[in-house]
Amino acid sequence: MAVVEPLPRDKIDPGLGAAVAEAEALGTPDDLFFRILGHVPGYTEALYDALHRSHALGDVDHRLKEIIRVRLARQANDPYFAGQRSKAAKDAGLDEARIEVGCGDFEADSQFTAAEKWALRYASLMFTTPKKIDKSFYDEGKTHYTEAEIMELGAFIAFHYGMQLFMGTLKGLPGS
Amino acid sequence: MTEERIDEGIERYATSVAFTDAEKAALSYAERMGTVPETIDEAFYEELARHYSVEEIVELGAFIGFNVGFHVFFGTLDFYPMFTPDGRLVSQEESRSIYGDKPVSHLSGSVAGANPEAAE
Repeated sequence: MAVVEPLPRDKIDPGLGAAVAEAEALGTPDDLFFRILGHVPGYTEALYDALHRSHALGDVDHRLKEIIRVRLARQANDPYFAGQRSKAAKDAGLDEARIEVGCGDFEADSQFTAAEKWALRYASLMFTTPKKIDKSFYDEGKTHYTEAEIMELGAFIAFHYGMQLFMGTLKGLPGS
Repeated sequence: MTEERIDEGIERYATSVAFTDAEKAALSYAERMGTVPETIDEAFYEELARHYSVEEIVELGAFIGFNVGFHVFFGTLDFYPMFTPDGRLVSQEESRSIYGDKPVSHLSGSVAGANPEAAE
């Protein structure tokens, strides 16, 4: 039994229809996100927008962000988000094998570029040893990414981990 | 709201007489989310549900998750508030001496668990 009962689909705010369709086309989040967050309609649109913009839009490779999203969801013990996949990333060539490497020992992998490894390290350190993300770490990041791209990555990591942390506590959801 | 109440809500809320049982449950929700999320189980949600509606629980949970994520990110950016507690515009260097080296709000006590490195 879910600790927070999802709203019936027909109770989702009709004003969120475009967002639900957009999310369905991408493959994440599925409509359960809207049925949970729909308990607080004022939050749903803003939080979905933050998740979507930071993940699917922007200048950083969406495939890389998809690997990071799955890695963070696993770290947050959130089977809900960890079990979803971006169709856009898959269509762009991202496969499960690459996601597995990105979620594991990416440092030892020969296919990830130095820039991709920095981004994966950024996500990996953020909620384990954030003190290691210091000036020298950001200086290295700036050799690979613009400041705008680094902010895009940092906000993306923060938004998604925060929501994954919350959803991970909602035991009893499909996939849990 | 005073700094003393914020401090009490961070460090001593569980034994404080200044908070209601509902407020203590919400503060515990926040503390657990950032430190031991695996302890937020069905029994904990049942306790929360004694004080809050489903709508309020989702509101709290999303708010807390969002804040845990974003505060950790901002913490890595080494930024400090532009203003002193009494409203004076200051440089980042001066702000750091106020909020960082000798923080107005806490980096010790129970909140240290939210960022173990802060206690080092």
